[in-house]
Amino acid sequence: MNGQRKNLVVRRYIWRFSASMTLYVAFLCLAVSEFRRGHPTGAVAYLLAVLPSIPIIGTIASVGLYLAEEKDEFQRTVLVQSMLWGIGATLAATSVWGFLENFVAVRHMEPFLVYPMFCFFVGIFTPMLKARYR
Amino acid sequence: MKNRLRVLRAERDWSQADLAERLEVSRQSVNAIETGKFDPSLPLAFKLARLFETTIETIFTDEE
Repeated sequence: MNGQRKNLVVRRYIWRFSASMTLYVAFLCLAVSEFRRGHPTGAVAYLLAVLPSIPIIGTIASVGLYLAEEKDEFQRTVLVQSMLWGIGATLAATSVWGFLENFVAVRHMEPFLVYPMFCFFVGIFTPMLKARYR
Repeated sequence: MKNRLRVLRAERDWSQADLAERLEVSRQSVNAIETGKFDPSLPLAFKLARLFETTIETIFTDEE
């Protein structure tokens, strides 16, 4: 029974996350094509520019909802720890890169890359932390 | 924190999966608690105590 409930929580999380990512791709394509085609101005330009970030916020919300719905404290702990490690690694990497940008000629890192970087680090740390508890 | 979960489980001939099912947690959780790598919250410790019809102090010992 627990397996079924757990699967339901995980399935809901995967569904929300996937739906957000699908919307992200769609909104990003729309924004890119609109800005390439013409030169939207005013409120439309702002709306189109912000559009791809809305599903990104959706993925953050889906993680928050998962943490709220997951009753297994061990699974919650592992995810929270992974995210803390992910935050630490992202802050460290962006700080180093920021100073490099300031003083040496390295490529500018776009701020919207920070979130994928965070996801990347969480993806690395989660299996490592799980292995620690085995 | 050391514990007697493995012994208590063996006495009832329960697998980690059986205990996980009864506690409504994942098998990984039971394994992490059993090996002393994860300390359960007070509510989960009480749940364990109720399940094994004993006290928390009988299951867990406050030593590294």
